[in-house]
Amino acid sequence: MNHRSIMAAVLLPLSLLLAAGCAPKSSSTPPPAQSGPQVGVYVNSSDVVIFWDPSDSFSNEIIAMHNLYETLLRYNPATDKFEPILAESYAHSTDAKTWTFTLRKGVKFHGSNKEMTAEDVKKSIERTMTRGKGAAFIWDAVDKIEVKDPTTVVFHLKYAAPLDLIAASSYGAFVYDVDYAESKGGETWFGQGNDAGTGPYTVESWKKGEDLVLNKFDGYRKGWAGKHFDKVVFKAVTEPATRQQVVNAGEADFVNMMPYDMLKGYENQPELAVRNAKSFENLFALINTKKITNPKVREALALAFPYDAAVNSVAQGYATQSRGIVPDGMWGHAASVPQRKTDTARAIALMAEAGAKDLKVTITYSSGDDAQRQIVELWVAELKKIGVTAEPKGMTWEAQLDLGKAKDPGQRQDIFLMYWWPDVTTPHSWHQSMFHSEKDVSFNLGYYSNPAYDAIIDDAVKLAGTDRAKAAARYAEADQLLYNDAVAIPIYDIQYARVVKKSLKGYVDNPSYPHVVFWYDVYRE
Amino acid sequence: MRTFLLRRLLLAVVVLFGVSVFTFLAARVVPADAAAKWVGPKATAAQIARARIYLGLNDPLPVQYLRYLSGLVRGDWGESVVTHQPVLGDIKAYLPPSLELLVLSSLLAMAVGIPLGILSARYQDRIPDQLSRLVAITGVSVPSFWLALLLQLLFFQKLKLLPVGGRLDSVFRLAHSVPVMTGSYVLDGLLAGDWALVGSALKHLILPAVTLAAYPIGLVTRMVRSSMTEVLGEDHIRAARAMGIPNRTILGRYALKPAMGPTATVLALSMAYSLSGTFLIEAVFAWPGLGRYAAGALIAADYPAIMGVTVLVAIAYVVLNLIVDLVHAWLDPRISLR
Repeated sequence: MNHRSIMAAVLLPLSLLLAAGCAPKSSSTPPPAQSGPQVGVYVNSSDVVIFWDPSDSFSNEIIAMHNLYETLLRYNPATDKFEPILAESYAHSTDAKTWTFTLRKGVKFHGSNKEMTAEDVKKSIERTMTRGKGAAFIWDAVDKIEVKDPTTVVFHLKYAAPLDLIAASSYGAFVYDVDYAESKGGETWFGQGNDAGTGPYTVESWKKGEDLVLNKFDGYRKGWAGKHFDKVVFKAVTEPATRQQVVNAGEADFVNMMPYDMLKGYENQPELAVRNAKSFENLFALINTKKITNPKVREALALAFPYDAAVNSVAQGYATQSRGIVPDGMWGHAASVPQRKTDTARAIALMAEAGAKDLKVTITYSSGDDAQRQIVELWVAELKKIGVTAEPKGMTWEAQLDLGKAKDPGQRQDIFLMYWWPDVTTPHSWHQSMFHSEKDVSFNLGYYSNPAYDAIIDDAVKLAGTDRAKAAARYAEADQLLYNDAVAIPIYDIQYARVVKKSLKGYVDNPSYPHVVFWYDVYRE
Repeated sequence: MRTFLLRRLLLAVVVLFGVSVFTFLAARVVPADAAAKWVGPKATAAQIARARIYLGLNDPLPVQYLRYLSGLVRGDWGESVVTHQPVLGDIKAYLPPSLELLVLSSLLAMAVGIPLGILSARYQDRIPDQLSRLVAITGVSVPSFWLALLLQLLFFQKLKLLPVGGRLDSVFRLAHSVPVMTGSYVLDGLLAGDWALVGSALKHLILPAVTLAAYPIGLVTRMVRSSMTEVLGEDHIRAARAMGIPNRTILGRYALKPAMGPTATVLALSMAYSLSGTFLIEAVFAWPGLGRYAAGALIAADYPAIMGVTVLVAIAYVVLNLIVDLVHAWLDPRISLR
């Protein structure tokens, strides 16, 4: 090889590159052409799909999954009502242990084009339960599923549970064509980017790390009359600055996560709007009740917390101070529980009353979460004012959890910061997981144990299936007990802020399905 | 030559064995439970216990290592504890975009760095040398993240000439059937004679390739300059000049050729590093490469994925070093491959 051939080998691809670069304006610059099919673009801050198997799905992919698959019911927390999706109606026994769903006729599966029957519902849920992955635990109450006839399926439960909420869960409650999927290879086939749902869209193309494209399913039960998107593109753009440029160029209809400091810039734009929405995700601190046994000291720690700074400085107003442990907007939220305000003088007085001197505490939080880090740093400074020396420990979630579950209780943290959001839209998710007495520590990382409290939430969960209002009252009672015992510090309920094109109509945020756009229901004006 | 290759291959096996031991042990000592990762953030103790059995984490460490090693040899690099997908499958998906980017940026580095280096050596301490030094120092010192954002702002936002990121236009993808052969869209387009695909893929490659090339351009420029300056001062060059051999021939044949050995070495090391070290560039340009995959695995403490990428990078270093040695021998006959 002489020098000329070396230079040719180097310069040929570069000249191609130059030619491509000097070509007319990039076709990616304008928004997707709308003279042909209507294309909606959803920009996500991380990879769109982690799990393709609808039984295992327990991550970001629900933003696409709820357009590919459907559940028996869909819950609307604003009205506390269920929208019939695959089930036309349902009824339950008085003890809430038997639930009968009457299915919609004429629902077809993608791929096989087969009509959905009760047998498919049974097989889908049983496959999810058998695999035991993702959110399969939501079906723990189910004893057996019985097919009465092709349109009637009966769930027999081991104990009373709100199966309507479970069947409407955002994770692990999809109905799909199990036979077809298994005949194609099951999990492996799903993993290649295939689906077997009944939803309005089906997968057109997907490649790891690249765009996911959905195409409308012609056999969709509601038909395609009216205004709808024909295709939906899901893009993962991890870098906020790039996301911002994509938005500015008008290439996205919906962007689910933008850094708070970038949102302000979109507030007065003619074509874009920032849509704030309540979420069911909240941040709180669990106080180790086995180490910090005096409720006055726990109360003092809570009164030293910088609530305003957390909401206004750290979350920049895209959050609201929590009232009780269950987020505002969810049924069972305790509107009567007081909100604490930072009160250093009162905290000092309580510490003196409790005779607590030179208290040292460790606070663990997720090291990758900047908001938690900032909050802890602010709190540490406030705690110093009341004579408490706090040692912040930023750790990975697994390490934080491991320390919280350390066999030697002496090694465990004093305060544990964490987020929680429900799998099933019920306050039980918080109360049971974080505060019900546990023999082996799972998520009760404040190690709270109060038989009176346990009795209330055990009663509430039974009522949830039969009388939601009474159940809500019981959960509020439980929340008040948590406040009285100062076992947790509810910090803030997160607000989701999205940048949405003003021309995108019909979008309604549903916090039970976080970040999901039901694309069939929206259109471009 | 055969003995040399055999010896290097044996050495490569030893190196890779060492890497496998190190990565395996490192994954076991870090404070994160793979079983807890496997079942997700809200798993119960029973689910975690079941996952430990499934993943074989209760077995003695040597048993686990032997299973891992035999898997590596058989092409089973384990499953990601986050996505539950085979690690090798993930690597196969993310490697082609990285290689595409890497090859183009290296060509760019050579195409710009070598002439600049020659210019610098030829006009030592004069204006061309100063300008080339400015380019080189800027290239090695400018943060790639910042450069990437600047290029995006200029070519996407202001000039609307190039795309902001991704590998293909969304509109193009919707209207075009993309052939799947090698995973490199440029190569696939060339093989299929699909010029529209080649064009779209190249447009998307320009900004990330230029960003990635900035550092090696500086490196190559300085390396060529310093090697050539040294050679240009030697007796045989003076003799060549005295014999009236044209300056172009002296520079190209007698001075540049010996300078290419060290240049190839730094370029190869830079390439191997860039294989997984480009996550910032990949993040800015939404480029689905190995760097982004590795960074995601690190953040999620996805140890099988981290181990997989580490082994791959080790293989890349071994292979590139071997290639560099062969290039050295080709460029300089005094080096024998024994």
